[in-house]
Amino acid sequence: MAKSNKKYHSTVGRRDFMKKLGVGAGALGLGAAGFAASGIGAEGFKDLDEMMASPLAERKLPFWVKEVDEPTVKIDWENMEIFEGPEKTLFNPASWENPQDYKDIYDRNIASTKKNVQENVPGLSLKDRALADANCWGWGGRSGADLAPPWAGTEVKANPMWEHPTMFYTPEDYGVPKYNGTPEENSRMLRTAGRIMGASDMGFVKLDERTKKLLWGKIKFENVEKGYAEVEKNKYVLPNKDLWAICSVIPQSLWMQQFTERMSWASSNTMSYSRANIYGNRLSVFLRGLGYQAYGGDTESVGRLVGFGVMSGMGEYGRAGILVSPQYGTNIRTVMVTITDLPLAVTKPIDAGISKFCETCKKCGEMCPSGAISMEDKPFWGGNTASQAKGIKGWYMDNKKCYSYMLGGEPDCSRCQTVCPFTKFDDAVIHDLIKLSIGSTSKLNAAIRKMDDVFGYGKEPDLSKTAWDLDPMDIPVYGLDKSRS
Amino acid sequence: MRLISWIWFWYVLVGFIMGGGAVLIWHILKSVHLKLVWYEWILMILVYFVFMLMCQTFIASFQEFEPKAAWFSLIFMGIPVLIMGVVLFRSLRKRYTKKQVD
Repeated sequence: MAKSNKKYHSTVGRRDFMKKLGVGAGALGLGAAGFAASGIGAEGFKDLDEMMASPLAERKLPFWVKEVDEPTVKIDWENMEIFEGPEKTLFNPASWENPQDYKDIYDRNIASTKKNVQENVPGLSLKDRALADANCWGWGGRSGADLAPPWAGTEVKANPMWEHPTMFYTPEDYGVPKYNGTPEENSRMLRTAGRIMGASDMGFVKLDERTKKLLWGKIKFENVEKGYAEVEKNKYVLPNKDLWAICSVIPQSLWMQQFTERMSWASSNTMSYSRANIYGNRLSVFLRGLGYQAYGGDTESVGRLVGFGVMSGMGEYGRAGILVSPQYGTNIRTVMVTITDLPLAVTKPIDAGISKFCETCKKCGEMCPSGAISMEDKPFWGGNTASQAKGIKGWYMDNKKCYSYMLGGEPDCSRCQTVCPFTKFDDAVIHDLIKLSIGSTSKLNAAIRKMDDVFGYGKEPDLSKTAWDLDPMDIPVYGLDKSRS
Repeated sequence: MRLISWIWFWYVLVGFIMGGGAVLIWHILKSVHLKLVWYEWILMILVYFVFMLMCQTFIASFQEFEPKAAWFSLIFMGIPVLIMGVVLFRSLRKRYTKKQVD
């Protein structure tokens, strides 16, 4: 867990200490001189707190890096010319002495890119270009540049602010047929692309008479080649042909979840939604680049997220009414559902003993401050309120209590996710052994739940701590990669 | 959590302990002309695996910001390691004593 404020105010980093003593240069014998020259003696820090509050303490560098007054590149400040701005760079045709040169390069880029795609050159083939387009231009999200609106089918707008020679090219533009892999090859390709674009895991559900019931009621099927939307009429239409739901698991920061009440909503929780939308946009652009249709894939979704998550085997239905993944526990923000006509090999639902474990565990229910989570031993047929739907034998939560607590002025909350025994970092091998036991037999479930408490997992953290108290360099980027910690 | 920056050090330390322990056991057994019997082999392998699991859990739990879990793993896995170690030692001593008498 994070260091406490108290600890921060009573210690000093090794490097800062060495630096201040002048030992950092390796001249131990000159320590006294360094001590004096460093200013400790002259300026006289009153205590460690004051020393740590000095500008020197603001940014920690590796011990082999020293700060210098002038950069290592020589700069002539007297005669330095002020550069006008990005419009003067060679990305702007007007910056070229002969704009035709720019056009020639532009045309060469198109010709060589087309040739590589047509010849299926490894690394420069159709799927590579599609992934490049998705990752490069998928930032448009669902607002602003509006590059791939969620119900655009294969239509994607060009970004008026920026244009790359082969931006949003389709197989037709390249002069090749659309990507033609087997369903298994397509699934494998999508999983690879999905991990690169920001999904933890990915599963596929064929839309049939059963699974179509997981879509929102406003979505209809018509005998059209491409889907369309009449937003003002709240009418969304999918083509009546073979379609699959791509179910992408979007992770959230487990590292940030340790600050459950104070920072979760600020970063872990909400940032995952913004990443999810960028991811969904990338996936739409990727599918378009392969020559296929994409619908939905935004956080408005096209249907029940948990339902599609369960049917695609991304997890099991848990006590808190949310998806519990065997790998990530409940620490997933959402399952992004994108509908496509790219043929895919379906993934089956899973049984990792999770729902059975939920019958015994009840930890999320015990820790829920609003009392929204059911404490019934067994799942039940519910969905009797207007904001729920019948048809699932599960633990229906009192979502009014949850929303009232979470959004009603009380501190924001993700406790049910944080305390779940399946929500763990994956460093310790012992977690896999425990999950092996849960997946094999339910006889040890009560003991495992007890041990989870004894070992201190899922306890309410010290609420006086927030991420603001940490060394910025100890914070994982996006809160996701904690290898820096 | 500066400990994690030095994670390699802890695994080097575990390696030294295990390597040193193996050499020591081999040396002692050789000097007293004792060979392990099958159940002692099983015990020794069990001690090895549980000890390694304990070390991994201890170090990794700090990486996971779970210090309490780290210390409890020492207790819950260390005690079985100790018990098995004592059983193994007593078995070897018993056989050595019997050999001396014979």
